[in-house]
Amino acid sequence: MPSPEVSDAQLIARALVGDDHHAFAELVRRHQSTVRATLRKLTAGNHALADDLAQETFVLAWRNLKSFRQEARFSTWLYRIATNCWLADKRKRKEELLGDRDDAIAEDEDGNGPEGAAVQGDATHSASLKLDLERAMAALSDGERAAIVQCYHNDLTHEEAAYVLDCPVGTVKTHVLRGKQKLKLALAAWAPEAT
Amino acid sequence: MTHDAHISDPMAPDWLDGLLAADAGEARSAYIADEGFTARVMHALPARMALPAWRRPAVMVLWGIAAAGIALALPGAALDVVREGYRLLAAHPVSLSGMAGALLCAGALTWSAAAYALRTSD
Repeated sequence: MPSPEVSDAQLIARALVGDDHHAFAELVRRHQSTVRATLRKLTAGNHALADDLAQETFVLAWRNLKSFRQEARFSTWLYRIATNCWLADKRKRKEELLGDRDDAIAEDEDGNGPEGAAVQGDATHSASLKLDLERAMAALSDGERAAIVQCYHNDLTHEEAAYVLDCPVGTVKTHVLRGKQKLKLALAAWAPEAT
Repeated sequence: MTHDAHISDPMAPDWLDGLLAADAGEARSAYIADEGFTARVMHALPARMALPAWRRPAVMVLWGIAAAGIALALPGAALDVVREGYRLLAAHPVSLSGMAGALLCAGALTWSAAAYALRTSD
């Protein structure tokens, strides 16, 4: 991981004023991992699509760098662009990829539900839980999934998530709450026993 | 929903929060290697419109010509405007009462403007 000796703001200034491609490349290197990871979560683990969207995100960031007013962190601004790219792509594809991914996961599972996995070793247990979580996340609505990814995966506050999702804070809280309710239902088999 | 009836604070952390946090922590610690991603992005960036080297001096020369033209044409044009204004005024003789009215209006406007400019804010 590159060491952040120069701040993001300095790199942005260099990219803007001096048309410095190297400065922007450093910004891409710094943030590519988190942006790609976020998009992998949003696309329910479709790495190829996530990387395409991440590339589109950085190209849009380069084009709109002048409009970045530093009202949020650069990473948060990137999450906002990435989320918009994902939503635009979803509208374009009409959920076809999600269905494909569900089929792929179902094949990978080889008939093992959470109950079956629970009796296997720790690694299998963890992998099955992860897979179930991924499936449950994929079943959420766009807003719920995006809100949960921003608040949990990216560790943003509700206010920051509202900026990323371009919606009121109350909507973010509602999306998180509803999303969690759906996840609890889908992952009920993994819930600890009530005492 | 009945399954949530026992939950007093829906925003309070629970087992799902722990699960999501653990998943997020695992994902955050797993740095995704660049593997040519940055290079692909830089290759895909739209090229800035390259301006030819002669553009700046050419623009300067054009502005210079325009400024010289204005400087040469303006004195004549200004004189023409003044001359036309005088001709219009001379064609319409102003009465004494009209001049007094205009002076009063000008005075009132000046006084109002001065009072507005010198007002003190509380």
